[in-house]
Amino acid sequence: MDASNPANEFIAAGLAAYGIEADEIELAVIGAAHQTFWPPILELLELDTGEIPVERSPDLSQAPPSR
Amino acid sequence: MSEPLDLSLRRQAAALAAGELDPSELLEATLARIEERNPALNAVVETFPEHSREMLAAAPPGPLHGVPIVIKDEWPLPWRAQRFGAAEMLAHAEPGESGPYRALRDAGAVIVGVGNMHELGASSTGNISVYGPAHNPWNPERCPGGSSSGPAASVAARLVAGAVGADGVGSIRYPAAYCGLTGLKPTFGRSAMAGHHMAEISTTIVSGALCADAADCRLLDSVLFGEALTAGEPAGLRIGVIGGEVSEDVAPAVREACETAIEDLRRQTGGEVREIELPELAAATLATVLIANSEGLGDVTPERLNRLDPELSPIGRGLLKYRLLLPAIATVKAQQLRTLARHTLARVFEEVDVLACPTVPAVAPPLEAPLVELPSGTLTADEANVRGGALANLTGIPAISVPVGSSDGLPVALQLQAAWGRDELLLDAAEALECANDRRWVEATPPVLGAETLGA
Repeated sequence: MDASNPANEFIAAGLAAYGIEADEIELAVIGAAHQTFWPPILELLELDTGEIPVERSPDLSQAPPSR
Repeated sequence: MSEPLDLSLRRQAAALAAGELDPSELLEATLARIEERNPALNAVVETFPEHSREMLAAAPPGPLHGVPIVIKDEWPLPWRAQRFGAAEMLAHAEPGESGPYRALRDAGAVIVGVGNMHELGASSTGNISVYGPAHNPWNPERCPGGSSSGPAASVAARLVAGAVGADGVGSIRYPAAYCGLTGLKPTFGRSAMAGHHMAEISTTIVSGALCADAADCRLLDSVLFGEALTAGEPAGLRIGVIGGEVSEDVAPAVREACETAIEDLRRQTGGEVREIELPELAAATLATVLIANSEGLGDVTPERLNRLDPELSPIGRGLLKYRLLLPAIATVKAQQLRTLARHTLARVFEEVDVLACPTVPAVAPPLEAPLVELPSGTLTADEANVRGGALANLTGIPAISVPVGSSDGLPVALQLQAAWGRDELLLDAAEALECANDRRWVEATPPVLGAETLGA
Protein backbone atom coordinates (compact mmCIF):
# COMPACT_ATOMS: atom_id res chain seq x y z
CA MET A 1 0.00 0.00 0.00
CA ASP A 2 1.34 3.42 -0.94
CA ALA A 3 1.60 5.29 2.37
CA SER A 4 2.02 8.63 0.59
CA ASN A 5 -1.52 8.39 -0.75
CA PRO A 6 -3.78 10.50 1.52
CA ALA A 7 -6.52 7.88 1.29
CA ASN A 8 -4.17 5.22 2.56
CA GLU A 9 -3.05 7.52 5.37
CA PHE A 10 -6.70 8.03 6.28
CA ILE A 11 -7.35 4.29 6.31
CA ALA A 12 -4.22 3.42 8.22
CA ALA A 13 -4.76 6.20 10.76
CA GLY A 14 -8.44 5.40 11.15
CA LEU A 15 -7.89 1.72 11.76
CA ALA A 16 -5.00 2.48 14.11
CA ALA A 17 -7.16 4.89 16.09
CA TYR A 18 -9.65 2.10 16.74
CA GLY A 19 -6.89 -0.44 17.33
CA ILE A 20 -8.17 -2.51 14.42
CA GLU A 21 -5.74 -4.82 12.71
CA ALA A 22 -6.00 -5.59 9.01
CA ASP A 23 -3.94 -7.85 6.80
CA GLU A 24 -2.79 -7.00 3.28
CA ILE A 25 -5.86 -8.43 1.59
CA GLU A 26 -8.25 -6.69 3.96
CA LEU A 27 -6.39 -3.43 3.39
CA ALA A 28 -6.78 -3.89 -0.34
CA VAL A 29 -10.53 -4.44 0.13
CA ILE A 30 -10.80 -1.41 2.39
CA GLY A 31 -8.83 0.64 -0.13
CA ALA A 32 -11.14 -0.37 -2.95
CA ALA A 33 -14.23 0.40 -0.87
CA HIS A 34 -12.77 3.76 0.07
CA GLN A 35 -12.05 4.55 -3.56
CA THR A 36 -15.68 3.79 -4.38
CA PHE A 37 -17.40 5.50 -1.48
CA TRP A 38 -15.19 8.41 -0.53
CA PRO A 39 -15.66 10.70 -3.57
CA PRO A 40 -19.48 10.59 -3.34
CA ILE A 41 -19.26 10.96 0.43
CA LEU A 42 -17.22 14.14 -0.06
CA GLU A 43 -19.87 15.35 -2.53
CA LEU A 44 -22.55 14.55 0.02
CA LEU A 45 -20.70 16.50 2.69
CA GLU A 46 -20.56 19.49 0.35
CA LEU A 47 -24.36 19.56 0.06
CA ASP A 48 -26.01 22.26 2.10
CA THR A 49 -28.75 20.22 3.68
CA GLY A 50 -29.54 22.73 6.40
CA GLU A 51 -32.93 23.45 4.87
CA ILE A 52 -33.94 19.82 4.84
CA PRO A 53 -35.63 18.72 8.03
CA VAL A 54 -35.18 15.16 9.20
CA GLU A 55 -38.39 13.25 9.83
CA ARG A 56 -38.46 12.29 13.46
CA SER A 57 -39.03 8.54 13.68
CA PRO A 58 -40.35 8.41 10.12
CA ASP A 59 -43.08 5.91 9.41
CA LEU A 60 -41.55 4.31 6.35
CA SER A 61 -44.73 2.37 5.63
CA GLN A 62 -46.46 5.58 4.63
CA ALA A 63 -45.90 8.76 2.70
CA PRO A 64 -44.35 11.53 4.77
CA PRO A 65 -46.70 14.07 6.29
CA SER A 66 -47.03 16.97 3.88
CA ARG A 67 -44.96 20.00 4.76
CA MET B 1 -51.85 -33.02 -15.01
CA SER B 2 -48.35 -31.65 -15.76
CA GLU B 3 -45.44 -32.80 -13.65
CA PRO B 4 -46.57 -31.57 -10.19
CA LEU B 5 -43.17 -30.09 -9.39
CA ASP B 6 -43.37 -27.89 -12.48
CA LEU B 7 -46.77 -26.46 -11.62
CA SER B 8 -47.03 -22.86 -10.50
CA LEU B 9 -47.30 -22.19 -6.78
CA ARG B 10 -51.02 -21.43 -7.05
CA ARG B 11 -51.70 -24.53 -9.13
CA GLN B 12 -49.83 -26.71 -6.66
CA ALA B 13 -51.93 -25.16 -3.87
CA ALA B 14 -55.16 -25.62 -5.82
CA ALA B 15 -54.36 -29.23 -6.78
CA LEU B 16 -53.53 -30.08 -3.18
CA ALA B 17 -56.73 -28.42 -1.93
CA ALA B 18 -58.78 -30.32 -4.51
CA GLY B 19 -57.22 -33.63 -3.53
CA GLU B 20 -55.66 -34.02 -6.99
CA LEU B 21 -52.19 -34.03 -5.48
CA ASP B 22 -51.03 -35.94 -2.44
CA PRO B 23 -49.00 -33.61 -0.18
CA SER B 24 -46.71 -36.37 1.05
CA GLU B 25 -45.91 -37.41 -2.49
CA LEU B 26 -45.27 -33.80 -3.44
CA LEU B 27 -42.93 -33.34 -0.48
CA GLU B 28 -40.94 -36.48 -1.25
CA ALA B 29 -40.76 -35.61 -4.94
CA THR B 30 -39.53 -32.12 -4.04
CA LEU B 31 -36.81 -33.51 -1.79
CA ALA B 32 -35.79 -35.91 -4.56
CA ARG B 33 -35.64 -33.08 -7.08
CA ILE B 34 -33.48 -31.01 -4.74
CA GLU B 35 -31.16 -33.98 -4.41
CA GLU B 36 -31.06 -34.37 -8.17
CA ARG B 37 -30.69 -30.77 -9.34
CA ASN B 38 -29.17 -28.90 -6.43
CA PRO B 39 -25.57 -30.21 -6.61
CA ALA B 40 -24.98 -28.22 -9.79
CA LEU B 41 -26.59 -25.10 -8.36
CA ASN B 42 -25.90 -24.97 -4.62
CA ALA B 43 -29.17 -23.08 -4.27
CA VAL B 44 -30.35 -25.00 -1.21
CA VAL B 45 -27.77 -25.26 1.55
CA GLU B 46 -29.67 -27.50 3.92
CA THR B 47 -32.68 -29.78 3.86
CA PHE B 48 -34.24 -31.40 6.94
CA PRO B 49 -36.67 -34.03 5.72
CA GLU B 50 -37.86 -35.04 9.19
CA HIS B 51 -38.74 -31.46 10.15
CA SER B 52 -40.44 -30.98 6.78
CA ARG B 53 -42.48 -34.15 7.28
CA GLU B 54 -43.42 -33.00 10.78
CA MET B 55 -44.50 -29.62 9.39
CA LEU B 56 -46.68 -31.39 6.84
CA ALA B 57 -48.18 -33.72 9.43
CA ALA B 58 -49.15 -30.72 11.56
CA ALA B 59 -50.09 -28.42 8.66
CA PRO B 60 -53.44 -26.71 9.13
CA PRO B 61 -55.78 -26.07 6.23
CA GLY B 62 -54.65 -22.87 4.62
CA PRO B 63 -53.85 -21.17 1.33
CA LEU B 64 -50.51 -23.02 1.02
CA HIS B 65 -51.49 -26.33 2.60
CA GLY B 66 -48.82 -28.86 1.68
CA VAL B 67 -46.93 -26.52 -0.65
CA PRO B 68 -43.10 -26.83 -0.43
CA ILE B 69 -41.23 -23.56 0.13
CA VAL B 70 -37.55 -22.59 0.42
CA ILE B 71 -36.59 -19.85 2.88
CA LYS B 72 -33.45 -17.71 2.79
CA ASP B 73 -30.63 -18.30 5.28
CA GLU B 74 -31.58 -14.97 6.83
CA TRP B 75 -34.39 -16.30 9.01
CA PRO B 76 -34.23 -18.60 12.02
CA LEU B 77 -36.26 -21.79 12.09
CA PRO B 78 -37.24 -23.62 15.28
CA TRP B 79 -34.60 -26.25 14.52
CA ARG B 80 -31.93 -24.07 12.93
CA ALA B 81 -30.33 -20.65 13.45
CA GLN B 82 -29.72 -18.55 10.38
CA ARG B 83 -26.09 -18.13 9.31
CA PHE B 84 -26.61 -15.12 7.03
CA GLY B 85 -24.44 -16.82 4.43
CA ALA B 86 -21.42 -16.27 6.64
CA ALA B 87 -18.95 -18.10 8.83
CA GLU B 88 -19.71 -15.50 11.48
CA MET B 89 -22.53 -13.05 12.03
CA LEU B 90 -21.90 -10.08 14.26
CA ALA B 91 -25.45 -10.29 15.57
CA HIS B 92 -26.60 -13.07 17.86
CA ALA B 93 -28.57 -15.82 16.14
CA GLU B 94 -30.34 -18.83 17.56
CA PRO B 95 -33.09 -21.20 16.43
CA GLY B 96 -36.58 -19.80 16.77
CA GLU B 97 -39.90 -19.00 15.18
CA SER B 98 -39.43 -16.09 12.80
CA GLY B 99 -42.33 -14.12 11.41
CA PRO B 100 -42.03 -15.69 7.95
CA TYR B 101 -41.79 -19.16 9.52
CA ARG B 102 -45.00 -18.60 11.50
CA ALA B 103 -46.78 -17.14 8.49
CA LEU B 104 -45.79 -20.11 6.33
CA ARG B 105 -46.63 -22.65 9.02
CA ASP B 106 -50.03 -21.09 9.72
CA ALA B 107 -50.80 -21.11 5.99
CA GLY B 108 -50.07 -24.84 5.87
CA ALA B 109 -46.83 -24.53 3.88
CA VAL B 110 -43.93 -26.94 4.27
CA ILE B 111 -40.42 -25.52 4.51
CA VAL B 112 -38.21 -27.94 2.59
CA GLY B 113 -34.89 -26.19 2.63
CA VAL B 114 -32.77 -23.15 3.40
CA GLY B 115 -31.72 -21.03 0.46
CA ASN B 116 -28.14 -19.87 -0.03
CA MET B 117 -27.34 -16.16 0.18
CA HIS B 118 -24.49 -13.74 -0.33
CA GLU B 119 -22.25 -13.48 2.71
CA LEU B 120 -23.74 -11.07 5.27
CA GLY B 121 -26.26 -9.93 2.65
CA ALA B 122 -23.58 -7.61 1.34
CA SER B 123 -23.83 -7.86 -2.45
CA SER B 124 -26.16 -7.95 -5.43
CA THR B 125 -24.24 -10.84 -7.00
CA GLY B 126 -24.40 -13.88 -4.73
CA ASN B 127 -20.85 -14.88 -5.65
CA ILE B 128 -19.56 -15.21 -2.07
CA SER B 129 -21.07 -17.41 0.61
CA VAL B 130 -19.84 -19.61 3.41
CA TYR B 131 -21.52 -22.44 1.55
CA GLY B 132 -19.88 -21.53 -1.75
CA PRO B 133 -21.85 -19.50 -4.29
CA ALA B 134 -25.20 -20.47 -5.69
CA HIS B 135 -25.19 -20.75 -9.48
CA ASN B 136 -27.59 -19.18 -11.94
CA PRO B 137 -29.77 -21.89 -13.56
CA TRP B 138 -29.70 -19.94 -16.84
CA ASN B 139 -25.92 -20.31 -16.92
CA PRO B 140 -24.17 -21.88 -13.94
CA GLU B 141 -21.07 -19.77 -14.55
CA ARG B 142 -23.09 -16.60 -14.00
CA CYS B 143 -24.13 -14.89 -10.78
CA PRO B 144 -27.59 -15.79 -9.49
CA GLY B 145 -27.92 -12.34 -7.91
CA GLY B 146 -27.86 -11.40 -4.27
CA SER B 147 -28.28 -11.40 -1.64
CA SER B 148 -31.27 -13.82 -1.98
CA SER B 149 -29.27 -16.00 -4.37
CA GLY B 150 -30.48 -19.42 -3.23
CA PRO B 151 -34.20 -18.62 -3.09
CA ALA B 152 -34.02 -17.26 -6.64
CA ALA B 153 -31.98 -20.14 -8.05
CA SER B 154 -34.31 -22.61 -6.28
CA VAL B 155 -37.38 -21.26 -8.01
CA ALA B 156 -35.70 -20.72 -11.38
CA ALA B 157 -34.54 -24.35 -11.34
CA ARG B 158 -38.01 -25.44 -10.23
CA LEU B 159 -36.80 -27.06 -7.05
CA VAL B 160 -39.80 -25.31 -5.53
CA ALA B 161 -42.44 -22.96 -6.90
CA GLY B 162 -41.96 -20.27 -4.29
CA ALA B 163 -39.28 -18.96 -1.96
CA VAL B 164 -38.99 -16.33 0.74
CA GLY B 165 -36.19 -13.79 0.49
CA ALA B 166 -35.29 -10.51 2.15
CA ASP B 167 -34.57 -7.13 0.58
CA GLY B 168 -32.43 -4.53 2.38
CA VAL B 169 -30.88 -2.88 -0.68
CA GLY B 170 -32.45 -4.67 -3.62
CA SER B 171 -31.77 -8.20 -2.40
CA ILE B 172 -35.01 -9.71 -3.70
CA ARG B 173 -35.12 -7.75 -6.95
CA TYR B 174 -31.55 -8.30 -8.15
CA PRO B 175 -31.70 -12.12 -7.98
CA ALA B 176 -35.22 -12.07 -9.41
CA ALA B 177 -33.84 -10.10 -12.35
CA TYR B 178 -30.79 -12.31 -12.89
CA CYS B 179 -32.82 -15.53 -12.63
CA GLY B 180 -35.86 -14.47 -14.67
CA LEU B 181 -38.33 -14.42 -11.78
CA THR B 182 -40.85 -12.01 -10.34
CA GLY B 183 -39.83 -10.59 -6.98
CA LEU B 184 -41.71 -8.09 -4.85
CA LYS B 185 -40.00 -5.86 -2.31
CA PRO B 186 -42.99 -4.95 -0.13
CA THR B 187 -43.74 -1.59 1.42
CA PHE B 188 -41.58 -1.30 4.53
CA GLY B 189 -43.28 -2.90 7.52
CA ARG B 190 -46.02 -4.66 5.59
CA SER B 191 -44.54 -8.17 5.50
CA ALA B 192 -43.47 -10.45 8.35
CA MET B 193 -40.12 -9.48 9.87
CA ALA B 194 -40.24 -10.75 13.48
CA GLY B 195 -37.30 -12.89 14.45
CA HIS B 196 -34.92 -11.36 11.92
CA HIS B 197 -31.68 -10.48 13.68
CA MET B 198 -32.11 -6.87 12.55
CA ALA B 199 -35.87 -6.62 12.88
CA GLU B 200 -35.68 -3.97 15.60
CA ILE B 201 -32.81 -2.06 13.99
CA SER B 202 -33.16 -2.01 10.24
CA THR B 203 -35.16 0.65 8.44
CA THR B 204 -34.57 -0.91 5.03
CA ILE B 205 -35.05 -4.70 5.23
CA VAL B 206 -38.33 -6.48 4.38
CA SER B 207 -39.27 -10.07 3.67
CA GLY B 208 -40.86 -10.96 0.35
CA ALA B 209 -41.61 -13.61 -2.21
CA LEU B 210 -39.68 -14.81 -5.25
CA CYS B 211 -41.83 -16.76 -7.69
CA ALA B 212 -42.18 -17.41 -11.40
CA ASP B 213 -44.90 -14.82 -11.90
CA ALA B 214 -46.96 -12.11 -10.27
CA ALA B 215 -49.94 -14.30 -9.38
CA ASP B 216 -47.69 -16.65 -7.43
CA CYS B 217 -46.05 -13.69 -5.70
CA ARG B 218 -49.53 -12.42 -4.83
CA LEU B 219 -50.33 -15.72 -3.13
CA LEU B 220 -47.06 -16.07 -1.22
CA ASP B 221 -46.86 -12.40 -0.31
CA SER B 222 -50.46 -12.49 0.95
CA VAL B 223 -49.25 -15.10 3.43
CA LEU B 224 -46.22 -13.02 4.41
CA PHE B 225 -48.37 -9.88 4.72
CA GLY B 226 -51.10 -11.65 6.69
CA GLU B 227 -53.72 -10.13 4.42
CA ALA B 228 -55.12 -10.86 0.99
CA LEU B 229 -53.48 -8.84 -1.77
CA THR B 230 -56.49 -8.58 -4.00
CA ALA B 231 -56.18 -8.27 -7.76
CA GLY B 232 -57.38 -5.25 -9.66
CA GLU B 233 -57.29 -3.75 -13.13
CA PRO B 234 -54.55 -1.18 -13.63
CA ALA B 235 -56.54 0.64 -16.31
CA GLY B 236 -55.16 3.95 -17.47
CA LEU B 237 -51.85 3.32 -15.71
CA ARG B 238 -49.75 6.45 -15.46
CA ILE B 239 -46.17 5.29 -15.99
CA GLY B 240 -43.23 7.48 -15.10
CA VAL B 241 -39.93 6.50 -16.67
CA ILE B 242 -37.06 7.53 -14.46
CA GLY B 243 -34.65 9.63 -16.49
CA GLY B 244 -30.90 9.74 -16.18
CA GLU B 245 -28.25 7.07 -15.77
CA VAL B 246 -30.54 4.49 -14.15
CA SER B 247 -32.40 4.18 -17.46
CA GLU B 248 -29.69 5.36 -19.85
CA ASP B 249 -26.35 3.99 -18.66
CA VAL B 250 -27.64 0.53 -19.43
CA ALA B 251 -26.54 -2.27 -21.76
CA PRO B 252 -28.24 -1.68 -25.12
CA ALA B 253 -30.19 -4.96 -25.12
CA VAL B 254 -31.48 -4.28 -21.60
CA ARG B 255 -32.51 -0.78 -22.55
CA GLU B 256 -34.34 -1.97 -25.64
CA ALA B 257 -36.19 -4.75 -23.79
CA CYS B 258 -37.24 -2.39 -20.99
CA GLU B 259 -38.41 0.29 -23.40
CA THR B 260 -40.45 -2.31 -25.26
CA ALA B 261 -41.93 -3.55 -21.99
CA ILE B 262 -42.89 -0.04 -20.91
CA GLU B 263 -44.66 0.51 -24.20
CA ASP B 264 -46.35 -2.91 -23.88
CA LEU B 265 -47.55 -1.98 -20.40
CA ARG B 266 -48.85 1.37 -21.59
CA ARG B 267 -50.75 -0.24 -24.43
CA GLN B 268 -52.10 -3.08 -22.28
CA THR B 269 -53.45 -0.72 -19.64
CA GLY B 270 -54.50 2.08 -21.96
CA GLY B 271 -52.19 4.25 -19.96
CA GLU B 272 -49.68 6.99 -20.54
CA VAL B 273 -45.93 7.39 -20.24
CA ARG B 274 -43.93 10.39 -19.18
CA GLU B 275 -40.35 10.91 -18.11
CA ILE B 276 -39.70 11.74 -14.49
CA GLU B 277 -36.49 13.35 -13.32
CA LEU B 278 -35.25 12.40 -9.88
CA PRO B 279 -32.19 14.61 -9.38
CA GLU B 280 -31.72 13.31 -5.86
CA LEU B 281 -31.34 9.73 -7.04
CA ALA B 282 -27.54 9.50 -7.09
CA ALA B 283 -27.20 10.96 -3.60
CA ALA B 284 -30.15 8.89 -2.41
CA THR B 285 -28.35 5.76 -3.54
CA LEU B 286 -25.32 6.61 -1.43
CA ALA B 287 -27.63 7.54 1.45
CA THR B 288 -29.21 4.09 1.34
CA VAL B 289 -25.85 2.35 1.45
CA LEU B 290 -24.70 4.54 4.34
CA ILE B 291 -27.85 3.94 6.36
CA ALA B 292 -27.97 0.20 5.68
CA ASN B 293 -24.30 -0.17 6.58
CA SER B 294 -24.54 1.85 9.79
CA GLU B 295 -27.63 0.15 11.18
CA GLY B 296 -25.81 -3.08 11.99
CA LEU B 297 -22.94 -1.38 13.81
CA GLY B 298 -24.43 -1.74 17.26
CA ASP B 299 -22.98 -5.23 17.44
CA VAL B 300 -19.51 -4.12 16.40
CA THR B 301 -16.56 -3.45 18.66
CA PRO B 302 -12.97 -3.02 17.53
CA GLU B 303 -12.05 -6.01 19.63
CA ARG B 304 -14.61 -8.19 17.81
CA LEU B 305 -13.30 -7.01 14.48
CA ASN B 306 -9.84 -8.19 15.50
CA ARG B 307 -11.02 -11.72 16.07
CA LEU B 308 -13.31 -12.29 13.13
CA ASP B 309 -13.70 -15.87 12.02
CA PRO B 310 -10.90 -16.55 9.50
CA GLU B 311 -13.46 -18.39 7.35
CA LEU B 312 -15.22 -15.07 6.74
CA SER B 313 -14.14 -13.91 3.29
CA PRO B 314 -11.42 -11.24 3.06
CA ILE B 315 -13.99 -9.02 1.35
CA GLY B 316 -16.43 -9.53 4.21
CA ARG B 317 -13.75 -8.83 6.81
CA GLY B 318 -12.48 -5.76 4.99
CA LEU B 319 -15.95 -4.27 4.48
CA LEU B 320 -16.88 -4.81 8.12
CA LYS B 321 -13.78 -2.92 9.19
CA TYR B 322 -14.32 -0.16 6.65
CA ARG B 323 -17.75 0.56 8.10
CA LEU B 324 -16.11 2.09 11.15
CA LEU B 325 -14.39 4.66 8.98
CA LEU B 326 -17.63 6.07 7.56
CA PRO B 327 -18.12 9.57 9.01
CA ALA B 328 -21.12 10.18 11.22
CA ILE B 329 -21.89 13.44 9.42
CA ALA B 330 -22.45 11.49 6.22
CA THR B 331 -25.05 9.33 7.94
CA VAL B 332 -26.80 12.45 9.29
CA LYS B 333 -26.93 13.92 5.81
CA ALA B 334 -28.13 10.56 4.50
CA GLN B 335 -31.13 10.81 6.82
CA GLN B 336 -31.85 14.30 5.49
CA LEU B 337 -31.66 12.97 1.94
CA ARG B 338 -34.09 10.24 2.96
CA THR B 339 -36.58 12.92 3.99
CA LEU B 340 -35.98 14.80 0.75
CA ALA B 341 -36.42 11.66 -1.36
CA ARG B 342 -39.62 10.70 0.46
CA HIS B 343 -41.15 14.14 -0.14
CA THR B 344 -40.06 14.08 -3.78
CA LEU B 345 -41.66 10.68 -4.28
CA ALA B 346 -44.86 11.76 -2.53
CA ARG B 347 -45.14 14.55 -5.12
CA VAL B 348 -44.18 12.27 -8.02
CA PHE B 349 -46.81 9.70 -7.09
CA GLU B 350 -49.49 12.38 -7.38
CA GLU B 351 -48.56 12.56 -11.08
CA VAL B 352 -47.83 8.91 -11.90
CA ASP B 353 -48.93 5.52 -10.57
CA VAL B 354 -45.69 3.64 -11.14
CA LEU B 355 -42.07 4.50 -11.78
CA ALA B 356 -40.23 2.28 -14.27
CA CYS B 357 -36.57 1.59 -14.93
CA PRO B 358 -34.41 -1.47 -15.60
CA THR B 359 -34.04 -3.53 -12.42
CA VAL B 360 -30.36 -4.01 -13.22
CA PRO B 361 -28.48 -2.39 -16.09
CA ALA B 362 -26.92 -5.58 -17.47
CA VAL B 363 -27.56 -9.31 -17.41
CA ALA B 364 -26.01 -11.60 -14.80
CA PRO B 365 -22.21 -11.23 -14.83
CA PRO B 366 -19.71 -14.08 -14.43
CA LEU B 367 -19.37 -15.51 -10.93
CA GLU B 368 -15.60 -15.28 -11.22
CA ALA B 369 -15.57 -11.57 -12.03
CA PRO B 370 -18.90 -9.79 -11.43
CA LEU B 371 -18.27 -6.81 -13.68
CA VAL B 372 -20.69 -5.29 -16.15
CA GLU B 373 -20.08 -3.39 -19.36
CA LEU B 374 -22.15 -0.23 -19.60
CA PRO B 375 -22.01 2.71 -21.99
CA SER B 376 -20.05 4.62 -19.33
CA GLY B 377 -17.49 1.82 -19.00
CA THR B 378 -16.82 -1.22 -16.86
CA LEU B 379 -18.35 -1.17 -13.38
CA THR B 380 -18.67 -3.70 -10.62
CA ALA B 381 -22.16 -5.18 -10.69
CA ASP B 382 -22.78 -3.80 -7.19
CA GLU B 383 -21.95 -0.23 -8.20
CA ALA B 384 -24.23 -0.51 -11.21
CA ASN B 385 -27.13 -2.35 -9.61
CA VAL B 386 -27.52 -0.17 -6.54
CA ARG B 387 -28.43 2.80 -8.75
CA GLY B 388 -31.86 1.33 -9.39
CA GLY B 389 -32.35 -0.79 -6.32
CA ALA B 390 -31.72 1.55 -3.42
CA LEU B 391 -34.50 4.12 -3.64
CA ALA B 392 -37.29 1.79 -2.54
CA ASN B 393 -35.36 0.72 0.55
CA LEU B 394 -34.43 4.28 1.46
CA THR B 395 -37.96 5.59 1.24
CA GLY B 396 -40.06 2.54 2.16
CA ILE B 397 -41.99 2.29 -1.12
CA PRO B 398 -42.75 -1.10 -2.73
CA ALA B 399 -40.97 -2.28 -5.86
CA ILE B 400 -41.24 -5.27 -8.13
CA SER B 401 -38.92 -6.87 -10.67
CA VAL B 402 -40.56 -8.47 -13.68
CA PRO B 403 -38.83 -10.50 -16.43
CA VAL B 404 -39.25 -8.75 -19.77
CA GLY B 405 -36.69 -10.14 -22.16
CA SER B 406 -33.34 -11.78 -22.63
CA SER B 407 -29.85 -11.07 -23.85
CA ASP B 408 -27.17 -13.69 -24.47
CA GLY B 409 -29.61 -16.29 -23.15
CA LEU B 410 -29.89 -14.51 -19.79
CA PRO B 411 -32.99 -12.79 -18.40
CA VAL B 412 -33.62 -9.05 -18.54
CA ALA B 413 -35.95 -7.36 -16.04
CA LEU B 414 -37.98 -4.21 -15.56
CA GLN B 415 -38.51 -2.66 -12.14
CA LEU B 416 -41.74 -0.93 -11.22
CA GLN B 417 -42.10 1.14 -8.05
CA ALA B 418 -45.27 2.58 -6.55
CA ALA B 419 -46.40 4.70 -3.65
CA TRP B 420 -46.45 3.38 -0.09
CA GLY B 421 -49.02 0.61 0.38
CA ARG B 422 -49.67 0.13 -3.32
CA ASP B 423 -48.03 -3.31 -3.47
CA GLU B 424 -51.22 -4.67 -5.04
CA LEU B 425 -50.95 -2.18 -7.90
CA LEU B 426 -47.44 -3.44 -8.67
CA LEU B 427 -48.72 -7.00 -8.84
CA ASP B 428 -51.58 -5.86 -11.07
CA ALA B 429 -49.17 -4.02 -13.35
CA ALA B 430 -46.85 -7.03 -13.49
CA GLU B 431 -49.77 -9.24 -14.50
CA ALA B 432 -50.78 -6.74 -17.17
CA LEU B 433 -47.25 -6.85 -18.52
CA GLU B 434 -47.34 -10.66 -18.56
CA CYS B 435 -50.55 -10.49 -20.59
CA ALA B 436 -49.04 -7.96 -22.95
CA ASN B 437 -46.16 -10.28 -23.88
CA ASP B 438 -48.24 -13.49 -23.81
CA ARG B 439 -46.42 -14.62 -20.64
CA ARG B 440 -43.39 -15.34 -22.79
CA TRP B 441 -40.82 -14.35 -20.19
CA VAL B 442 -42.45 -15.69 -17.03
CA GLU B 443 -42.95 -19.08 -18.66
CA ALA B 444 -39.41 -19.36 -20.03
CA THR B 445 -37.38 -22.03 -18.28
CA PRO B 446 -33.62 -22.30 -18.01
CA PRO B 447 -31.54 -24.67 -20.14
CA VAL B 448 -30.38 -26.45 -16.99
CA LEU B 449 -33.84 -28.02 -17.02
CA GLY B 450 -33.33 -29.33 -20.52
CA ALA B 451 -35.71 -26.81 -22.01
CA GLU B 452 -35.11 -24.54 -24.93
CA THR B 453 -32.71 -21.66 -24.34
CA LEU B 454 -34.14 -18.17 -24.35
CA GLY B 455 -33.97 -16.43 -27.66
CA ALA B 456 -31.83 -13.31 -27.72
